[in-house]
Amino acid sequence: MIEKSGGWAGKILRIDVGNRSAEVIQTSHYSEKFLGGLGIAAKIAWDEIAPATGALDPKNKLIFASGPLTGTLVPGSGRMEIIGKSPRTFPEEVVTRSGMGGYWGTDLKYAGYDALILEGEAEAPLYVWISRDRIEFVDAHELWGQDTFSTQKRLKEKYGSKTQVICIGPAGENKSRIAAIVSETSFVSGKSGFGAVMGAKKVKAIAVQGSGGSIHIAHPGRLINLASHYRNLIGYNPMREWTVGYVPSDDHFRFFKKYRTGNASCFGCPLQCFAFIKVPGSDPGQIHCSSYYYMKPSYAYYGESCEGDLALWEAVILCNKLGLCTFEMAGMVPWLKDLFEAGLLTEKTSGLPLSQSGSKEFIQTLLNSIAFREGIGEILAEGTARAANQFSGAWSLYEKYYPAHGQSEHNSVRDFPGIALLWALDSRDPMIDHHAYRHLSVSRQRWPDPYTVSAEKANSISEKIFGSKIAIDHGTYAEKAGTIAYCQNRSAIINSLVLCDWIYPIFISQSREDRMGDTAAESKFLSAVTGKDYGEEELNRIGERIFNLQRATMIREGRTREDDTLHEAYFRKAEIERDTNSEAMGHTNVASDQTRPVPLQIFEEAKETYYEIRGWDKNTGRPTRETLMGLGLNEIAEELTPKEE
Amino acid sequence: MEWVTNLKFSEMNTRARRSLVANSLACTGCRTCETICSLIKTGLIMPESARLHIDRYPFEGKFVPNVCHHCSIPYCLKACPAEAIGISAKDGLVLIDKEKCNGCGSCQQACPYGMIVFDEVERRASKCDFCGGHPQCVKACPMNALGIASFQSKELK
Repeated sequence: MIEKSGGWAGKILRIDVGNRSAEVIQTSHYSEKFLGGLGIAAKIAWDEIAPATGALDPKNKLIFASGPLTGTLVPGSGRMEIIGKSPRTFPEEVVTRSGMGGYWGTDLKYAGYDALILEGEAEAPLYVWISRDRIEFVDAHELWGQDTFSTQKRLKEKYGSKTQVICIGPAGENKSRIAAIVSETSFVSGKSGFGAVMGAKKVKAIAVQGSGGSIHIAHPGRLINLASHYRNLIGYNPMREWTVGYVPSDDHFRFFKKYRTGNASCFGCPLQCFAFIKVPGSDPGQIHCSSYYYMKPSYAYYGESCEGDLALWEAVILCNKLGLCTFEMAGMVPWLKDLFEAGLLTEKTSGLPLSQSGSKEFIQTLLNSIAFREGIGEILAEGTARAANQFSGAWSLYEKYYPAHGQSEHNSVRDFPGIALLWALDSRDPMIDHHAYRHLSVSRQRWPDPYTVSAEKANSISEKIFGSKIAIDHGTYAEKAGTIAYCQNRSAIINSLVLCDWIYPIFISQSREDRMGDTAAESKFLSAVTGKDYGEEELNRIGERIFNLQRATMIREGRTREDDTLHEAYFRKAEIERDTNSEAMGHTNVASDQTRPVPLQIFEEAKETYYEIRGWDKNTGRPTRETLMGLGLNEIAEELTPKEE
Repeated sequence: MEWVTNLKFSEMNTRARRSLVANSLACTGCRTCETICSLIKTGLIMPESARLHIDRYPFEGKFVPNVCHHCSIPYCLKACPAEAIGISAKDGLVLIDKEKCNGCGSCQQACPYGMIVFDEVERRASKCDFCGGHPQCVKACPMNALGIASFQSKELK
């Protein structure tokens, strides 16, 4: 008998596509210490993915995990986390995470499973169909080679329109390191290249019917009241307005006005942060943030015209259909342009119409060549970081757009000390987990009335949450170490519950005059749902445990203090104002100096302070035995730091 | 449960009543309504048991909430052989008397909107009961896509 408690579905499904078997394990084995989502998946990865395992090795696993708040009434509870050895991380393949919004994670839970462990390697392409207790492995020869849209449509035709599907496109099948896992038109797990892992396992899709299971709620009345209270408190989160009222630029505004038919959202979310777009001549779909990567190039090429609109839209749709990460293209497109202009790559050798960067033909040729590994696509499919080692002189141009880990710049790394540290300490782009901190410290300046948060109000929020207004001050590395440690713990919690980082932690409330948010939301929700009382401090502690578990995994894979850094170019003044797509994606700080170098010595000192705060060895960045034991990570301590005899 | 009895066909058709209404253009398909409905009605979160449902067409950007209309001429009522479905004397709502329901499933077959939920284990039908006058789905919808419509009674000419 599987025990069931408030919030969790109770079961974890383990699927081996090699021998086509499935088994069920109990969530409670992990949930007390690691909650769910990121926490549970990170623990399973620690237990089951050996450090030497390659990302495309049959022994690698993908763990898709929702959490105790997923699919409950909590606003913004539609996400799930995916963990596994990533083919995308650079320079080494390491275990990392990549989230995904939408409806698949919630429906997996409604089918009765908190998480799914995908392992083994199929002999021939297949897809997995999950319906209540029935797990089917179905031949996918007919689907292999198809794009993600038609794959999903075919499966929805076969199993019913309410079926939720995650799948890969040709890029994943061909094991491109920048391949994504896609659901619907634009719910994408892209940053960690897990599409390639599914491709290596020859799993085209996992379809799930969200019925048969149910989620027990310990205090339904409390949950309903809390959900209503926090829905109001979140109020007019500017992210909601990203697609409606507040838009990053006039170009966006014009684009929306012409093509937005409505909005869309993940499960149970009041933000509706996706705009639904129909541009004649291409498929309709949802758009948000990094999907705008081709806006600047296409308008530069065509001017503001219907051709420009179609080119930028085709760039989004084709990425999602082929199953490629748009964020990677945000770096690769300008990088290729630079290579061409520097004479390091020609149209003839590359087979790409490089002189027409910004055109529809260029992006179609580029994306198809990568997804099918044709011509230069064979090299580019490895991702910009690995490809940059293939052309002489390409690396220095690459460093313009990529701060670390082979991931293109996301937020002003040079400009903001806290963000530089977050980048250096992660194994991937960290900024997907730190929007709340970013909004408080950076982007609030751009918000138009009535969403403005004055410097005075932001400072008093900072004082309340971080104990000081220096924590959000751009000018100094002082007090950033403790601040980001706190933010990392909070994001570990959010990714474990699993809630959306765009809402939580609630640092800013647009519905209050003083803009003061409420950081106790997560613990109150978790207490109401599970029936166990979680204090905010206790939850922070669990976050710290999960973060240290991730760090221990990195250390076991060989991470050292020297790896906690940025690419060298970031420690030098940039020669020119970089022409990245950050602006089109709303990422640039309006007052930013994008040429400013990260001050190496001060940066290193801040790192040391950070290690101290974390209870890690100052010289190596390894969590000490005491730290791990203190967090209840005893078995991890035993393996990582055996007691000296 | 107090029902209007001996309603003539024409009286049923022209009675004052309230109904849920939905605006599909405002709906983003987030399913908050399904979640809260199932929680209130079953004590569990189980969207398939919700008394309303969202049809999502993600490749067309269309999200269609399907709600109970508490119809002027309720097909479910007409189909019920056990007289377990009636019209509330208080506010004209179409309600099921669980005690009388024999679990035959005729109402589910009859409803053109798919608004009858059938519990296979207990063999009982359920439907929207307007949460006693204050539908929680309307309150919880973050997009204000759900609402309440009032129909005045009318004399047929």
